[in-house]
Amino acid sequence: MTLSRRSFALLSLCTFAQRLLGQQQGIATRDVAAQPKPAPSNRPFNARFTDVAKEAGLRAPVIYGGVDSKKYIVEANGCGCAFIDYDNDGWMDIFLLSGTRLEGDPPGATNRLYKNNRDGTFTDVTEKAGLKHAGWANGVCVGDYNNDGFDDIFCTYFGQNRLYRNNGNGTFTDVTKEAGLWQSGPARWGAGCAFVDYNLDGHLDLFVSNYIRFSFEHAPVPGENSTCNWKGVPVNCGPRGLPTGRHTLFRNNGNGTFTEVTKQAGIDAATESYGMTVVTADFDEDGWPDIFVACDSTPSLLFMNNHDGTFREEGVTRGVALSDDGMEQAGMGVGIGDYNLDGHLDLFKTHFTGDTSGFYRNDGKGNFDEVTRAAKIGVETRFTSWGAGIVDLDNDGYPDVFFVTGSVYPEVEKRLPQYPYKTPRVLFRNLGDGTFEELQFQAGDGVSAAHSSRGCAFGDFDNDGDIDILIVNMNEPPSLLRNDLQAGQNWLKVKLEGVKSNRSAIGARVIARYGNKVQAQALISQSSYYSCNDPRLHFGLGPSAEASLDIHWPSGLREQYERVSANQLVTIREGKGIVPNKGWKR
Amino acid sequence: MLQGLAYSGKGDSTTALDSYHHALKISPDYLPALEGAAQIEYEAGSPDAAPLLEHVLKIRPNDVTSHLMLAILAEKSGDCETAVNHFSQIGPILDSHPEALQSYGVCMLKMKRNDDAIRVFQKLMSSHPDDARCRRALAAVQLASEKPQDALATLRPLLDSNPDVDTMRLGSAVYEANKDTPDAVRILRDAIVKDPMQTGLYVDFAQLAMDHQSFQAGVEMVNAGLNRQPGAAELYMARGVLYVQLAEYEKAESDFKRAEQLNPSQGMTEEAQGMLAEEQNQSDPDQALSSVRAKLADKPGDAFLWYLQAAILSKKSAEPGSPEFQQGLESAKRAISLQPSLTAAHNVLAKYYLDAGENALAARECRLVLDQNPSDQSALYHLILALRKTGDQKEIPELLKRLAKARQDATREEGERNRYKLVVAP
Repeated sequence: MTLSRRSFALLSLCTFAQRLLGQQQGIATRDVAAQPKPAPSNRPFNARFTDVAKEAGLRAPVIYGGVDSKKYIVEANGCGCAFIDYDNDGWMDIFLLSGTRLEGDPPGATNRLYKNNRDGTFTDVTEKAGLKHAGWANGVCVGDYNNDGFDDIFCTYFGQNRLYRNNGNGTFTDVTKEAGLWQSGPARWGAGCAFVDYNLDGHLDLFVSNYIRFSFEHAPVPGENSTCNWKGVPVNCGPRGLPTGRHTLFRNNGNGTFTEVTKQAGIDAATESYGMTVVTADFDEDGWPDIFVACDSTPSLLFMNNHDGTFREEGVTRGVALSDDGMEQAGMGVGIGDYNLDGHLDLFKTHFTGDTSGFYRNDGKGNFDEVTRAAKIGVETRFTSWGAGIVDLDNDGYPDVFFVTGSVYPEVEKRLPQYPYKTPRVLFRNLGDGTFEELQFQAGDGVSAAHSSRGCAFGDFDNDGDIDILIVNMNEPPSLLRNDLQAGQNWLKVKLEGVKSNRSAIGARVIARYGNKVQAQALISQSSYYSCNDPRLHFGLGPSAEASLDIHWPSGLREQYERVSANQLVTIREGKGIVPNKGWKR
Repeated sequence: MLQGLAYSGKGDSTTALDSYHHALKISPDYLPALEGAAQIEYEAGSPDAAPLLEHVLKIRPNDVTSHLMLAILAEKSGDCETAVNHFSQIGPILDSHPEALQSYGVCMLKMKRNDDAIRVFQKLMSSHPDDARCRRALAAVQLASEKPQDALATLRPLLDSNPDVDTMRLGSAVYEANKDTPDAVRILRDAIVKDPMQTGLYVDFAQLAMDHQSFQAGVEMVNAGLNRQPGAAELYMARGVLYVQLAEYEKAESDFKRAEQLNPSQGMTEEAQGMLAEEQNQSDPDQALSSVRAKLADKPGDAFLWYLQAAILSKKSAEPGSPEFQQGLESAKRAISLQPSLTAAHNVLAKYYLDAGENALAARECRLVLDQNPSDQSALYHLILALRKTGDQKEIPELLKRLAKARQDATREEGERNRYKLVVAP
């Protein structure tokens, strides 16, 4: 008897080869077919985005690794940014992270804090604020960890993460060591981070995702093995082939210090993941915050809160860990919002080129159905995608989807021009029927411009009642997309101040009812890609002149406000009601 | 009866058989006539042997020869359960019948009783230590049983002493399974040099090239084969598949068409073209659909084409209840009815059922896939989702473990596949 070596069975071969083609590089992508684009709706879209970064004074480039090639993955992933009102004047200031270069810190490589001059311009106050620091920064999250009324900043690094305490006088102090957050031992790769009061004691705890265990000494170089090639071009290696990171949870002791509780909380049970952006919210609406971690080339993680200081990881079971065919994806950025206006928080996750982004509809119990194709988001697979938001950009009452894109391989386009390093931003407008329409050129030059972007943050820097967008571009100045929205639609902004809850009110969930619609939003300290949005929740109301608000505070208090007039910011203090706004002028 | 014996002795089987049947008409339970007729029918490979042998066993239930013959006949017809039942009643005599032992071993293998199969072939080899075929058979069974090191040890004496092409071909597979790709390639190249007319060797090389993403190297070798054997349909087929991976769709299509012209009965050319249509038109499902529908019009009994139609319609994400959704669902069902073992169709059907909220039906389809491939990630994932939705949670933890292991295994295998690349010499 002679057994054939292997039968050349075409079906299995082709199926195998398709999967193989999707996995022949360091990053998981599926090479899926894009959905055909439906016919245009021809509905007007009234938001126009103009990049005003230069006029606004945001001119320093965000240094991040090599410009024309990247030897290591450390240079490729880039960093996030934040809208933060660090001086409580009612105007959003800007905090931008930065990387460095393999050969050492070039001049100008530093994180930057820009103070809002309230006239459309900003002033770089980095040095004065004590925030000058160069390194391989990745993520930023903002929250008032010591409940003193001023928002503090936590930054993750490949290297040493940093906690900057806001002194309340325009300066910050690096309190990493005294807060107990100093890491000894080999450098770790802090990636996503989030302030979250997981035990509901009124103090913000801290979750930090880690990407990979990396060292320059041991890292392979481009072309060295199969994870260091993309489409046949030698490129930086990973994350596949490199050891996974280890995520960390720190409990706030209430005295300015933190204690690591990773093991006790059950976080360390979830291993083997390349963690990236972190989003915390009460997905199953049980009053306790859960933690979602977008993971690159490994299943994403959803830690459900057990109400006793521990978590259970249920990403696969709840439908947010894998693609709809059960495969790993390159999870990078996360948007959170209520796209279908059912009062529940949905998730949007960005992926690598050749794959669709993932759109996950929440049933209100923390179970998700992937609706990417049903929502017509699957029409776009061209770009490696990063920071994202589910945000109402035209105030029509239906949250849209926006994300930024950019390749991680600058060297590829020289050999394969069809894969450019700089690619445009992507905007999907919500058609109000559960589907979206991609707008490539109808939303202004700020959207169609090509950059290699990473983090982005959504906020209203000019307090004009619409959402603007701050974007990190690799080795370029950032973009600041000013939204010039035609008047006609209404809006409402909600700023929350915790009293029994943490002062930042992070973890609060707000349900707005307007017209016949209901929309949920959550106050969070990180989303998009390693970035932090304007903490004032923004609801587009369409033609509705008022809205009712249902506020679920982290403390468990539930407050309702009826018939709140549109086109204003309301500041609501927990248990006290609506209080005067700080510095808000229009 | 005596007449039958006489004719048998003269080698006139036809007349002998007539004589035995005549005897059996007079006395249906006459054992010598039954045995004589059964012997002749068995040797002729006739299906009429079985009822005669069974008749013998009714009269003499422990008749070893009848059990032996029935076992071999059952194995040849693919009925291993019956074959094993008969083999198990033979006893030690089985060891002295190489053909029977081999059939028994093949059945063990088919029934996934791999360790039993290995024992059988070890017995076969120890009774025929100098027979290269027995040694190769054992090595092949060890390889199929995922014991590549054992297979290499078994095959080593043949590999070290001027092996024939069959041994070299098997040796290539054994080396590859032992992660020794350079030797796998070397010995396969040597086999091709030794017997350049054997098309299977080029196909093996194409497979090896596929495994290591060395598509161009595979094309070059298949080209060499086609220079020798320009009429070999399977080589066009293999090259077409490699061209698909190189995104050279026109060349692929041309090769698939040529393969079909050369050998219309060769399976899968329609499937190949369907797959090509799906690849080529992946950004245009409507065009892919048209292409598949045109092929279905010619071959309405082709399960794979029905599956492709279901898969393409699934990508269009039609709403449950819509005509397109229903057509996709029905196409998947049709594919399965035509070819129940087509796991891809079960997976697509499971997805349709999940989308339609028919979670119990989705779970059933997933289980059918997992019966065939316990590591199918899509089936495991969809089963987890279906069970969650039906509220049947108890099985989920175990399924999560299986899914995690399947993922890890896939990642590891990917790394192993990618460790070596075949290159075209400049």
